Amino acid sequence: MQDIQAYIESGILELYALGDLSSAERAEVEAQAARHPAVRQELTQVQAALGLYAEAHAITPPAGMRERVLGHVLANLNSPVAETPATPASRPATSSLRADVDELVQSRHAETTTSTPVLPLNAPEPVAPARSSGWAIAASVALLLSLVGNALLYNNWQQANGELVALQNDNARIAAATQANYRQQLGAMQEQNAILRNDEFRAVALAGTKAAPAAKARVLYNLATKAVYVDVKNLPALPADKQYQLWALDNGKPVDAGTLAVGTAAGDSLQHMKDIASAQAFAMTVEPAGGSVNPTLSTMTVMGAI
Amino acid sequence: MAASPGCCHFHLSGIPVSDSPPISLPSAAEEALVERLRARDEAAMTEFYDRYAAALYGVIFRIVKAEDEAEDVLQEAMVKIWHAFASYDASKGRLFTWVVNICRNLSIDKIRSRQHRVGSRTMGLDDSLTAQRQAAPATFRPEHIGLQEITQTLIPEQRQIIDLLYFEGYTQSEVAEELDLPLGTVKTRARTAIKLLSKLIR
Repeated sequence: MQDIQAYIESGILELYALGDLSSAERAEVEAQAARHPAVRQELTQVQAALGLYAEAHAITPPAGMRERVLGHVLANLNSPVAETPATPASRPATSSLRADVDELVQSRHAETTTSTPVLPLNAPEPVAPARSSGWAIAASVALLLSLVGNALLYNNWQQANGELVALQNDNARIAAATQANYRQQLGAMQEQNAILRNDEFRAVALAGTKAAPAAKARVLYNLATKAVYVDVKNLPALPADKQYQLWALDNGKPVDAGTLAVGTAAGDSLQHMKDIASAQAFAMTVEPAGGSVNPTLSTMTVMGAI
Repeated sequence: MAASPGCCHFHLSGIPVSDSPPISLPSAAEEALVERLRARDEAAMTEFYDRYAAALYGVIFRIVKAEDEAEDVLQEAMVKIWHAFASYDASKGRLFTWVVNICRNLSIDKIRSRQHRVGSRTMGLDDSLTAQRQAAPATFRPEHIGLQEITQTLIPEQRQIIDLLYFEGYTQSEVAEELDLPLGTVKTRARTAIKLLSKLIR
């Protein structure tokens, strides 16, 4: 039972629902769901949650689209493609959506290449006159095997080719993404540098409270523009459903200065917080993700006066 | 067991449901439609369109980001759904889940086959977080269920991860790389976000 709970919490069901698994992994998830009602229930919930997310983003299609799409679709229901959805029974019960659809496309694709050599198996006439000549039969069988072999090799080659293209695409995209990322990081660092060198900013050291003596951070407060930046040196890590929230204390009253992104809390970079009109001190508390209206004082982690 | 995956304990609380129940949740109407499609009833495709087109078009449009291409993909998807219907297995999931995934796959294939794909996709990267912080575009149907609840339920960082995973076809490792986060953080955030979403149901 604990194993099942661990399995559910591993996040694999989310990956399944997002279509982020290999076919072997998908088969494994489906087997688990068939075996354990708890897994099935969780998976149904995950799918329903994503379905709700999709549905919430519904867009009314443009005028005239209904007629065009339905016209095209209804005209294509009986097209030759209709021959292919055959062999649902021969398909392994474990295959999932993506595989099913891909298979369908491939079978349509491969039809031209594979169907010709395979046909004689179902249509025994040409081979039928079995004139007790073992040689003729043996030759036919050899020819058939060779044809089937060729078809398989052709299929494999095509598949490998497709995978190569996909890999090249991935490669190009990752390279471009990395570059964009570096550019972004460089821009952020230049901005931070400008803030750190700006004399208008006043650094306010925030020291750890009893709850977290090693915690340390500082606030950069621009008294002229009222801009507030936070710079973390060290803060205890939080669970995913919690966030640090910065508060300005103005005449003893806490004013929300915004929540800290995970990267900021880890000390990766400065974060621009909400503008604060006036403050004598700053403090940070631990709040539920998204932040709170009022600080939970018992979770105060760092504090410092201007 | 899988015959009625929680047929009765789903209902929406706090979500303004205008007239019909959300199509992403199970219903007798869906079962009837499945029966008709299984029986190869061509008229059922019209009903299918009226029931699902807006939701599917929304998903497709979010991925391909162009009206004419979105229409092509929806058309292609419906033909595929008809021909591949024998492979739909109700015990593995709801009809809506199945058809949304077909649409997502076709849309992702579409943008991957575009020549300018690399360019157009990285263009979005720099602005993606900013875009998430903005309010929902006007093309979204404001009267439609849930979007408001979703913006209230998920913080922008969570929405961004779900959007990348669900609408952009990223893997979790790609999201981690893109957002420069540890893979573990991406996993927990995705899981937390989906958990929060499923609390909107029931």
